[in-house]
Amino acid sequence: MFSALGNLQPRQLAAQILNFALVLSTAFMLWKGLSVFTNSSSPIVVVLSGSMEPAFQRGDLLFLWNRGQETQVGEIVVYNVRGKDIPIVHRVIRRFGGGSAPLQLLTKGDNNAADDTELYARGQSYLDRSKDVIGSVVGYVPFVGYVTILLSEYPWLKTAMLGFMALTVVLQRE
Amino acid sequence: MADTKISPHSLAELKNTTDDALGNYLRGLKFEQDNTKLDVRLAIGYASVIIAAATFAADYKLGWEATKTWTAVAVVAYALLNGAFTYWMWAVEKGCVFAGVREGKKISVASKTKKHDPTYYLTISSANSESRQITAPFTTWFTADGYFVAKPFQQWLASSVEAIGNADSKNALRDQRDEIASPSPEVELTPQGNGTVDASGTDGKSKGSKRSKRKG
Repeated sequence: MFSALGNLQPRQLAAQILNFALVLSTAFMLWKGLSVFTNSSSPIVVVLSGSMEPAFQRGDLLFLWNRGQETQVGEIVVYNVRGKDIPIVHRVIRRFGGGSAPLQLLTKGDNNAADDTELYARGQSYLDRSKDVIGSVVGYVPFVGYVTILLSEYPWLKTAMLGFMALTVVLQRE
Repeated sequence: MADTKISPHSLAELKNTTDDALGNYLRGLKFEQDNTKLDVRLAIGYASVIIAAATFAADYKLGWEATKTWTAVAVVAYALLNGAFTYWMWAVEKGCVFAGVREGKKISVASKTKKHDPTYYLTISSANSESRQITAPFTTWFTADGYFVAKPFQQWLASSVEAIGNADSKNALRDQRDEIASPSPEVELTPQGNGTVDASGTDGKSKGSKRSKRKG
């Protein structure tokens, strides 16, 4: 199998490697393009916990939109806790400010007993719409995100998948 | 070259192995390969990969907010380069597997296959003649279990293409060549009795001189 690679001229080998590199970079640029379009650093997120049941289950894939700055009470937003890299998907239950004043939000998971004040960073009692919120949920697909959960819980899966992809693309010459 | 075994049922493998063999054969006949088309494709492709890599690095180091504008620019640039890449492959390269020069004469070979048809279609254009298409079934040079045999492939090429036959007289079967090949334009201008000149090259004299050259 690999002997087929050895028989290639250097330019052809470069062309095969380019094919694989283009697969990766196109996937990445599509993701970045979607980020730019939605103005969100992470336009597609996976629900990791059951705090929004029965609306969202663990493993659901959510599509975000970050260009509406006037978030209303009742909208579901995804935000990052300051200092941590965990996105949380909860519903807005109160808002302060808005218009010319910076918009501040209080959130709570539908399935939680208390609001998110406990979850925010120490000293933080509200979310800043422009700084903390990644986007509001505009659509979702159930279950599909479970693959991402598996990939993050078993990191060797990521390497295995990437290695397999690399092998097939570089050795295939269709 | 007969060492690697391929699957004789995969049209892609048949075509790719034959394309590689064609390149090796022609380079062996001292055709200087002209890599410009492939080089341009590699340049466009790697340029877009470098842009993607730079965007990835910037995003990793500086985060989303700081790199938003650069990312937007990079996405547009990447889309344009990828479009150019696809266009280049589709319109300019058009299946070209070899382009080269030998003794001042250029030759350009493009190959293609049709779905579910085990035939090799070659389009050859030389500097001094129109493009011709020659075809042959893959079974001509592949054994039933997938081994490539060079000899019949080289014979087919040398007999069907004048430029290759000129370079490789051993494999060019003379009768087939004279039948298939168009008259060579480098024939000497034979002066006719009435003062005009016959450059058609179809008169017996030039054919005879070709024949005598071959014997010598």
